[in-house]
Amino acid sequence: MNRTKWLWGLAAAVGLLLIAAPALLESYPYIMHIAIVAFFYAILASSWSLLAGYAGQFSFGHMAFMAIGAYTAGIFGKYVRLTTAPTGVCSEIPMGNHWLVLVNFFGDNCLELGKANMPVGTLIYRLPALPGIILGIIMGGIFGLLVGVLVLRLRRTYLALFTIGFSEIVRVTFNAEIDITNGPNGLELAPLFPNGVHLFGFYFNSANKIPPYYVMLMLFLVSMAVMYWLSISRFGLFIRSIREDEEAAAALGVHIVRYKVLVFVVTSMIAAAAGAVEAHYIGVITPNILLILQMSLVISMAVIGGLESLVGAAIGAIIIEFALEFLRTSFTIGPIVVDMTTWRLVFFGLLLMLTLRFWTNGLIYPIIQRLTRSGVAEETVAMRQAAVEGAVEGQG
Amino acid sequence: MIELDVNHIKKNFGGLQALNDVTFKVRGPELIGLIGPNGAGKTTLTNILDGLIRPSSGTVYLNGRRIDTLPPYQVARAGLGRTFQVTRAFRRMTVLENLMVPALAMHPTARQHDFLDKAMEVLKFLTMDHLVNEYGRALSGGQQKLLELGRLLMLDPDLIILDEPFAGVHPKLMEIIYEYITTVNAQGKAFIIISHDMETIFTLSRRLLVLNFGELIADGDPDVVRHDPAVIEAYLGEEEEEAGPAMVETYLGKDKRQDA
Repeated sequence: MNRTKWLWGLAAAVGLLLIAAPALLESYPYIMHIAIVAFFYAILASSWSLLAGYAGQFSFGHMAFMAIGAYTAGIFGKYVRLTTAPTGVCSEIPMGNHWLVLVNFFGDNCLELGKANMPVGTLIYRLPALPGIILGIIMGGIFGLLVGVLVLRLRRTYLALFTIGFSEIVRVTFNAEIDITNGPNGLELAPLFPNGVHLFGFYFNSANKIPPYYVMLMLFLVSMAVMYWLSISRFGLFIRSIREDEEAAAALGVHIVRYKVLVFVVTSMIAAAAGAVEAHYIGVITPNILLILQMSLVISMAVIGGLESLVGAAIGAIIIEFALEFLRTSFTIGPIVVDMTTWRLVFFGLLLMLTLRFWTNGLIYPIIQRLTRSGVAEETVAMRQAAVEGAVEGQG
Repeated sequence: MIELDVNHIKKNFGGLQALNDVTFKVRGPELIGLIGPNGAGKTTLTNILDGLIRPSSGTVYLNGRRIDTLPPYQVARAGLGRTFQVTRAFRRMTVLENLMVPALAMHPTARQHDFLDKAMEVLKFLTMDHLVNEYGRALSGGQQKLLELGRLLMLDPDLIILDEPFAGVHPKLMEIIYEYITTVNAQGKAFIIISHDMETIFTLSRRLLVLNFGELIADGDPDVVRHDPAVIEAYLGEEEEEAGPAMVETYLGKDKRQDA
C-alpha cells in the first residue's frame, strides 16, 4: 500500500472513531464536553494556521471574528421572532402566513407593545439556531473583508498591532453596549436544539451532549475539508508564495491583493462559524472570550501543533485542550501544595517557549511531515531513472 | 515581435534623482546588457519596468500596452518577467511548487497536473530534475538562482530582466545560466541583463545600455560602448588617460575585437 493510501486510510479510521466516540462516551458527559470544546479550538487553531502559517498574516484578531459570529447569532436569537400575526409596531416582513419581526434594540420592547394589536392565540416563535449561525458566518466574512483590506499594506509587527487593536475595539464595544449585548454579564443564547432532537432513532433532549458533539464535529470536519482543499489548490499555492515573498509572487503574476483579502475572509468566516455554534452550545457569550489570553491560547495550540499544517494545528488544539483539563488535578510535594488549576498554565507556557525555541515547526507537524515526505527524494530519482530507462527502451 | 518603449522616465526619491530622462526601445529578441556603477539606477529602472515602483514622469509601453501604471502582477501577465538582485526563491515551498506559482497565475483555469510535464522539462534543462520535491531552502545559492530562472520559463514572458544572474555563482552553474540565456533568447525572448561581471556581459550581450547617476550615457554595440569616453569616465573617473588600456580592461573587460 502506498503512503498516500495509508494516510487516507488512517484519516478515515480516525474520522470513524470520532463519529463512533459518543457511543462509548455517552456516560461521560464531561469528556464529551471537553471534546466539543476541543473541536471548537481545533477549528480556530487550524483556520488561524491557514491565515498565519500558510499566508503569513500573523493576526491577533482571530478571536474577534469568532466573537462577531457568536454575538451575531446571539443578537439574532434575541431580537428576531416569527409570529402568526403582525405586531403593527415593530419592523416586520411578511413571510406567507407568518411575519418575521425585528424587535427594536432601544426603547420599549415593540413586541410587548405589539401584543395588544395581535389577536388572541397569536403564536410567537424563536427562530432555530441555524439562520443566526449563517448570519454570524456572513458577518464574520464582512468584517474579515474589512480588516483584510485595511491591513493590506501592513506586515509582521504592524499587522499584529493593528489586529490586537481591532480585537480590543470589538471587545470593548461588546462590553459597553449593555442594552444590546448585556455587556460583561454575557449574552444568552438558546441551545442548538431547544426542543431536543431525534438522531439515529433516539431522542436527545436539549441538554444532551451528543447532538452538539456531532454538530461541532461536522463543522470541524467540513471546515478542515474546505481548508485542506483550499491549501492544495491554487489558493494555497498562492498564499504560501505571498508568505514567502510578496514582491516575488507579484512579479510571477500572483494577484496579491485578491488572495490576501480572500484568506482573511475565508478564515474569518470559519472562525465565526465556530464561535456561533460554540456560543449556542455553551448558552452564553461574554466579552472575556476576547481577552488576549484566549487568542494566545489559540496561537499556542497552532504553534505547538505546527503552524504550517492545518492537521498539525488541529491535533495540537485537541491534545492541549484535553491536557489542560486533565492537568487540573493538584498534588503535593512534601509540604508544598501544587495548585494545578494555576500551574498548568505555567507548564503550558513553558511548553510553548520550548517549542518556539527548539521545534519551530511544532511538535505534531514534523511527525506528519515524516509520514508524508520521507523518501520523496529517493522516489523522485527512481521515477526519473525509470522514465529515462523507459525512453531508452522505447528507442531501442 | 517584442516591443518595449521606455519614454523619458524620471524617478525622484525625495531630493535624490534616481533616474533622469531615460529613454530606449527594445525591438524583437534582443540581448541587452545594462551596466553602470553602483547607485547608477539600474535596479530602480528594473523596478519601474516591472511595476514595483511608479516613475515620477515618463511612460513604459510593452507590446503597445502601457505598463507603468499597472501593478506588478499585471505587468507579469502582460509579458515581462524578472529576477531579483538577491535571490528570492520561495524557500519553504518545494522546487515543483515554486514552478507552479507562475504557471497557475498565468492560466486561471488550469490545474497543477496540466504543467507537470513542462515543469519537469524546465528542471531537466536546468539540470535540477532530481531536486523536484526538495524545499527551496535546501538548495544552494546558485541552484536557487536557477530556480528563479526556471520560474520565468513557466511564466513564459516576452521580455526577461535578470538582475545580477552571475553574482556569487559557481562557474559550473554560471555555464548553465549562460546557456539558459542564449537558448531562451534564440527561442525568441528578449533579455535585459544587469551585471557587474563585465567579461560575461560584454561577451553575452549584443547591445549595451550604460546608466550613470540616473542618466543613460551610452546605448549601442558593446565594443563601441567600451571605448565611449563617457563610459570610461563613469567607471574610471578622470584618471582614465593615466590608467591606460590595462585599467580599462580591468573595469570594462577585454575587447573582443582585439581578441579576434
